Amino acid sequence: MLLRMAPLVLCLAATQLAAAQASLEEKRFFEEKVRPLLARHCLGCHNNRSRMSGLSLESRRSALLGGGRGPAVVPGEPGRSLLVEALRRTGELQMPPAGPLQSREVAVLTRWVRAGAPWGLEAGEDTQPAGPSHWAFQPPRQAAPPPVKDEAWVRSPIDRFVLARLEAGRISPSPEADRRTLLRRLSLDLVGLPPTPREITEFLADTGPGAYERLVNRLLDSPHYGERWGRHWLDVARYADSNGYSSDGNRPMWKYRDWVIEALNRDMPFDRFVTEQLAGDLLPDPTRDQLVATGFHRNTMINEEGGIDFEQYRVEAVVDRVSTTGEAFLGLTVGCARCHDHKFDPISQKDFYRLYAFFNNIDELGGEVSVEQKNQRKLDPMLEFGKPEDFARREAIRQQRSILEKELKAYQVELEETLAHWEEGLPREERASIAPQIRESLEIPPERRNIYQRRVLDLFFFAQDPGWQARREGLKALQEAEPTLDAALIMRELPQPRTAYVHLAGDFTRRGETVDPGTPAVLPGLPGDRKLNRLDLAGWLVSPDHPLTARVTVNRMWQRYFGLGLVETEADFGSQGTPPSHPRLLDWLASELVRQDWSLKAMHRLIVTSATYRQSSEARPEVSEVDPGNRLLARQNRLRLEAEIIRDAALAASGLLVSTLGGPSVFPPQPEGSGQFTQVNRKWKAEEGPNRYRRGLYTFFRRSAAYPGLTSFDAPNAQSTETRRNRSNTPLQALTLLNDQTQTEFSRALARITVARGGSTPSQRIRYAFERSLARLPNAEEEARLQSFLAHMGGDFGARPLGAHQVTGEAGAGQAPSLASWVAASRVLLNLDEFITRP
Amino acid sequence: MQPEDLESRVLHAITRRHFFERCGVGLGKTALTALFAGDSLFGSATGRPALDKLHVAPKARNVIYLFMAGGPSQFELWEPKPDLQKLSGQPIPPSWMQGKRFAFMESFAKDPPKLLGVNRTFKRHGQSGAWVSDCLPHTAGVVDDLSFVQSVHTDNFNHAPAKVMMNTGTPIFGHPSMGSWISYGIGSESRDLPGFVVLQSGRRGPRGGALNWSSGFLPTAHQGVPFRSGGDPILNLSSPPGFRPAQQQATIDAILDLNRMRLRQVGDPEISTRISAYEMAHRMQASGPELIDFSTEPEATLEMYGAEPGAKSFANNCILARRLVERGVRFVQLYHTDWDHHGGAGADLDKGLDKVCLEVDRPIAALIRDLKQRGLLNETLVVWGGEFGRTPMGEVRDTVGRNHHIDAFTMWFAGGGTKPGQTIGRTDEIGFSPVEDGVHVHDVQATILHLLGIDHTRLTFKFRGRDARLTDVGGKVITKLLG
Repeated sequence: MLLRMAPLVLCLAATQLAAAQASLEEKRFFEEKVRPLLARHCLGCHNNRSRMSGLSLESRRSALLGGGRGPAVVPGEPGRSLLVEALRRTGELQMPPAGPLQSREVAVLTRWVRAGAPWGLEAGEDTQPAGPSHWAFQPPRQAAPPPVKDEAWVRSPIDRFVLARLEAGRISPSPEADRRTLLRRLSLDLVGLPPTPREITEFLADTGPGAYERLVNRLLDSPHYGERWGRHWLDVARYADSNGYSSDGNRPMWKYRDWVIEALNRDMPFDRFVTEQLAGDLLPDPTRDQLVATGFHRNTMINEEGGIDFEQYRVEAVVDRVSTTGEAFLGLTVGCARCHDHKFDPISQKDFYRLYAFFNNIDELGGEVSVEQKNQRKLDPMLEFGKPEDFARREAIRQQRSILEKELKAYQVELEETLAHWEEGLPREERASIAPQIRESLEIPPERRNIYQRRVLDLFFFAQDPGWQARREGLKALQEAEPTLDAALIMRELPQPRTAYVHLAGDFTRRGETVDPGTPAVLPGLPGDRKLNRLDLAGWLVSPDHPLTARVTVNRMWQRYFGLGLVETEADFGSQGTPPSHPRLLDWLASELVRQDWSLKAMHRLIVTSATYRQSSEARPEVSEVDPGNRLLARQNRLRLEAEIIRDAALAASGLLVSTLGGPSVFPPQPEGSGQFTQVNRKWKAEEGPNRYRRGLYTFFRRSAAYPGLTSFDAPNAQSTETRRNRSNTPLQALTLLNDQTQTEFSRALARITVARGGSTPSQRIRYAFERSLARLPNAEEEARLQSFLAHMGGDFGARPLGAHQVTGEAGAGQAPSLASWVAASRVLLNLDEFITRP
Repeated sequence: MQPEDLESRVLHAITRRHFFERCGVGLGKTALTALFAGDSLFGSATGRPALDKLHVAPKARNVIYLFMAGGPSQFELWEPKPDLQKLSGQPIPPSWMQGKRFAFMESFAKDPPKLLGVNRTFKRHGQSGAWVSDCLPHTAGVVDDLSFVQSVHTDNFNHAPAKVMMNTGTPIFGHPSMGSWISYGIGSESRDLPGFVVLQSGRRGPRGGALNWSSGFLPTAHQGVPFRSGGDPILNLSSPPGFRPAQQQATIDAILDLNRMRLRQVGDPEISTRISAYEMAHRMQASGPELIDFSTEPEATLEMYGAEPGAKSFANNCILARRLVERGVRFVQLYHTDWDHHGGAGADLDKGLDKVCLEVDRPIAALIRDLKQRGLLNETLVVWGGEFGRTPMGEVRDTVGRNHHIDAFTMWFAGGGTKPGQTIGRTDEIGFSPVEDGVHVHDVQATILHLLGIDHTRLTFKFRGRDARLTDVGGKVITKLLG
């Protein structure tokens, strides 16, 4: 059918679709009256991407073209326009599915069609920014969940919103997924680990009412919940363990990461969570934890390159804080207003710099910076951790060092005076025996030597003096004795705030007017009678009537569970974003978050216990025809696991997982040469102890040379906030899963545990390893395929014992060929699409 | 990538077929197939290039970009300036410096910068009479194939941001690089190698590391893939210990079969993509060793480049680059470090510069000759340049060098539809600023895309609410450069 439509499209386009020239008045009528109605009630489904039933109402052309049922709008003829018919609900088609529009609204659209459906500003025309009437700037509406026909399907209010839409489109929801699938889905979603064989047995045995809810509670109570959802937040926070830019040195950031995990595990209310991160340092008598929380906006990069203008990079960090705040909480591309007023949304350049002013007063390096400051204060403000005696000891050692350094310098000056004498008295033979690099300088007459050559000779001469050597050794020993203390990058205000200016065209060297801290004018304001600070900003973001924060937050949660948010453009709720697919559901969820005192766990429970979430994810070709993007949620979606979770799942399946929570970042093995393509080829010494098998989120993240196993699977690059990850599907991923050393270790371990615990027959063992990996048992066809693979490999390795030993990594004789074939079979399981997919 | 609906997929397929059958402007049969196939509903990889068809007739199929990291001095290599010689040692008049910013500027107050003459001998070379100093005797022999632009300027005077600017069109870290944009736009002709490959030589990797070849907000499938000239060219290309090709084959077969069974059960097209990804990975494993095996190269070729099999050198990377474009790889970028001649220990404009010139000069000339002999230069654009140039003023450290300069520096282009044997752009008497045909970094990028058949304003990707592109809001094609 779709194929047949194509030529029709071309014919229509050629003739009657030339857009009528609308007058300015008509355009205004459209923009003010018509477009908001289309946006609120229609565009969620009928946009250029979703094209439900083939219809998009994003442009006049596409509205006139219509969809599968024919043209939606016939200019001048409301009686023949399907749009009007559907809105009036007089015929078979009744829209919108969520319930009728008010008669006043229907009248506006009818009038518009009668007037010839004049359109407003087409894409590409110079647009006016969206006004305050844009849906996302209105407070969420407290909509009651709509009635549905199939009451029995409903498990939670969420389901009413979803089912009402499906019923309007005459689509039935999918059946509930089977229990094993639900267990694996929930475990991966809530804690990021597949269920263990014991957990599978327990859940299957629990057939009483409430078993599913008990499972949900157990998982939400698990400390691994904080790791799973903490990592999502760390994407938003652009967390990394290094400074970024050029030489990209290490930074102590992991305490912030642990704070996030801990806060989520305690179910810290989201308003508190935001406040402590944005302004923990400004709370009365902040605790150390609250200071660590402010690391959120210290995840900005620091340039350590020589010859930089420190002010330039301080400004970049402040700008990043504004853009991140915009996307993370407001769901607005505020960063677009850095150089000029936002083109599409009502955010002026001045608004941008008013937000900038909140983050401009951190006591970090900027302006004129001396060499000492650069060396000592590079990462400031910092919070250090240690017992008082550690600090005292370090201070004592530092004092001692400074004394010894002075002494050494004085001694060198003395020595230098004897240098000329030494040189004159140097016998010819001895001179000849000096290494050529040094002799080269020696042969230049003293008065013609440059700084570098003088330095070479000085050092050479000093190094032969026992007194100098002893002093140097002493200093070195002191240096090594200095205790290293744990630390965290935090926020601290300057006592004297910096003046904030508008930067003309975004250039910090071109100052415009001065600005005070403030929030975008289009959003509900803050009292203007005093100078505002970050604490005010945080309070404003999480005030119950803020139109954006709660919506953006629940939308991002939804996105983690279904692959896409209700608002597909999760970081752009402005006029260029896509309107919500289920606007009332979005509003209901946002109000619910506030009503639940911002408890995230309550929201998780609400979503995962819904019938919507529990549906099977199997494809339904008949539904895909009308809803190719599955925006109506007539089924669940299969989602490829995130980079870290792929590692975690393999660690869990193979029994290697070391599930310690938190602590400094770790260094699992990475392929040789991974760090070779960056400025400083830093050492990566693979862990030998338990830290070799920690969860993926603890892997040390270097911005300029990130762990290859993470980046191949779309882990963010931590340059700026990331609110949604790509899910790519590439040959490099295949190479990683097939051949990486870590994968070899995982498949060996899965083989060993299978042989040890999986029973004695091949069939038992196949079922054991299969269940460990995929939480289900193989069907006959799958089992047969693995049987034949095992037999084939067993024969192969039997004929080649050396190969078998290489595969198992074990020396001794005995069952090597058999174990090797199990390693091979384990490798197959850990490479399956199903293994790296949330079902 | 955003999910696409069925209808537009179907329409797209029709347009493509139409394009292949009827339209003259094409890259050949396999051109529009990215290596990294994938067609993911929620994912990102796409099996199709983003562009249905090229915007203009392409002159080049592939690009070899010789990135001279650190900022080579245009004064010591390409641009003799008699006035600079005469004024050497004099402080630069303050009016020249007004409103300008430099690296290490804080030292200027103590030590006002003085102009620095050049301690090198220049000669005109070839039919075109291009000036080249005695630093680059081999390159001097191929100047008639090169097109110099002496008036390039950029925006950032620190290494990492300037490199990222040259590669991604913005100094903000994390945007897609040129190679990624090109791979995204028109795909690659290679079926078993990535479309965008990065090679590195010199003492260390470039500042900013992987951000220089990042796919940014484009699908990860388009990121530059670093190749090593020794060992495994790509990470994880070798099978695990004990798995010989036959066992690897059997393992992959089992994986594919089980994936197919799952595909039948759940019907997710993502599984078919995974199956093709494994098939391609397998082909890469087979072709990788052959790619880096130089034993098939005639002795004379190795000699011409100054390459030694197995060495990690710029010379070897140049041969590898040629082998890559021969196999259809779209964009090969070679980094060679240590052009940052401030005058620090070992980084002076005498021995320091000699050393790095010696490393690149002969291989570059050989690459140009080799491509030409094989008839590849017509369709391969070779680009030479750093992230910026160096100041006409000297900088005194341990010895004398030059600071970073962003107002005017030299790049050259060869092949791929450029007009050879010319010099574009002129700078003032001391080489501080362009006085004719100033060329911004965005213009360079627009031109490279143009030569590949792409209008730089029409290769866009929706990001943070706007149609982002490589050239940001700028970019003019350097028409004088076109043949």
